[in-house]
Amino acid sequence: MTTLLEFKNVSKQYGHDTKALSDVSFAVKEGEFVSIIGPSGAGKSTLLRCINRMIDASSGEIIFDGANVMDFRKKELKKLRTRIGMIFQHYNLVNRLSVIENVLHGRLGYKSTLAGVLGLYTEEEKQQAYSILRILGLEDHIYKRCDQLSGGQKQRVGIARALVQNPKMLLCDEPIASLDPNASRIIMEHLKNISSSMGITVIINLHQVDVALKYSDRIIGVNKGRVVYDGTPDGVKTNELQSIYGTDFGKTVDEQGGQHAG
Amino acid sequence: MGWGWDESIRAVNDKAGNKAGQIHNKPIRTKPFNKASFVIQITLLTLVALTLYGFSSFDYKDVHFFEAAYNSLVTVKTMFLEPHFQHFTFAGALKQVIVTLGLAFLTTLFGAVIALFLGLLAARNLSSNTVSVMIKGMVAFIRGVPTVLWVLIFAVAAGLGSVAAVIGMTFHSVGYLIKAYSESFEELDKDVVEALKASGANWWQIVFQAVIPSSITYLISWTFMRFEINFAVAVAMGAAAGAGGIGFDMFMASAFYYDVREIGVITYFILAFAIALEILATRMKRKLRAAE
Repeated sequence: MTTLLEFKNVSKQYGHDTKALSDVSFAVKEGEFVSIIGPSGAGKSTLLRCINRMIDASSGEIIFDGANVMDFRKKELKKLRTRIGMIFQHYNLVNRLSVIENVLHGRLGYKSTLAGVLGLYTEEEKQQAYSILRILGLEDHIYKRCDQLSGGQKQRVGIARALVQNPKMLLCDEPIASLDPNASRIIMEHLKNISSSMGITVIINLHQVDVALKYSDRIIGVNKGRVVYDGTPDGVKTNELQSIYGTDFGKTVDEQGGQHAG
Repeated sequence: MGWGWDESIRAVNDKAGNKAGQIHNKPIRTKPFNKASFVIQITLLTLVALTLYGFSSFDYKDVHFFEAAYNSLVTVKTMFLEPHFQHFTFAGALKQVIVTLGLAFLTTLFGAVIALFLGLLAARNLSSNTVSVMIKGMVAFIRGVPTVLWVLIFAVAAGLGSVAAVIGMTFHSVGYLIKAYSESFEELDKDVVEALKASGANWWQIVFQAVIPSSITYLISWTFMRFEINFAVAVAMGAAAGAGGIGFDMFMASAFYYDVREIGVITYFILAFAIALEILATRMKRKLRAAE
């Protein structure tokens, strides 16, 4: 399989002395399901946002589909973002609009300014949005306002919004951190399905180590802005976890287990 | 427990530099005496003294205070209990109120359209810092000058009349609504903006698809608030700037015809419309809330 994304010595510095990322290098193949794990503040979110340039890295190269993302100008950047879907912890939907309107927001990047402003979508786009919602089991709720949905349903709308972009890659920023275990499982299974059946590369930030180990093809462990582990889930043992989460890891295992309820 | 408490009080007193046990000897003040309370007391006393001095040193000429007060009340009674039409009919008055209402509506509409765009540029989360600060500073200046003064300023160019009133009132409405709108926009969750940005949407698309739908209830309720204000201002403008409408009739009735009964009629008209507007606004807001 070909390489879709490659980080080459990427660093990100906030201000003078806060380094969010230092010298990060790794590569992701097409269709891979990659989990990024690490303690809070390790730079996971920054890493993810550097890929679609929601945050600009300070130095290094980020190669996506053969082109260096760091060199992109406004127009190319917009095109890049349409090809990368993003899913958020707090869903980030427009609560006052209906489900289908929120999903169609994923098409805005492909539209002219005027059509986007007026909310004019083609019949084809609407059909596509509907069929994606059906796959995710939301076909009964398409005219509901988003603030009437449960957390798990909202996150599925978020996934639908990302999928309607026809993305090559999905970036998921802690998509299950605000969900109960059952909803979390449903979301993770949908993401896994998307990855395997549609061939979309998924990069996901997770706090739940067991979930990451269960669903991923590959694990990247981050601590203090550095990649400290990069390999298969089978290779993640107590030693590796301690290097990711610090030497106290064994003591906090119970809290880690309790976290998926939160 | 009691011992510990006593002990801790003593400790606190010691820390404050007081001698232990002294707390019971002096009367305890509930309000601390400091500079602020001193200044407030002095100010109040000065105001009382000035008021007394003012009343005692009025030049009453031939007016006797109680007689004058009585006569004023009689005038008010005539005004409100014996209203009648003299220089125009019921239909005429209605037409004039509608002219005033039209003035208020037009200026609010102009103000809202202009303020919507400038409000977007003034919102710190949607625009650059420099632009936002510049617009907000300008708007603060516009709001600082009363509407009547703006109308009179524009009257220099446009002449006293409805044109000056429309421009001046629009100007002040824009100032007011930019502040209200931009603050509504700033309360928006920036995560939603991030989500649409990440999907490749541009600024205009984000504004119309996320920002405005999310803050529409605030926008409507602020705009209506301004409409009510503009109605009151439009009445005053009729008199002060000759902008026409019911305000001008009131000015004529009072300053030209000295007809207090007609003033009574006009006041009732204005009151009725103001109440109707208020009820409409309340209903609309309730409906918007219900849609939440």
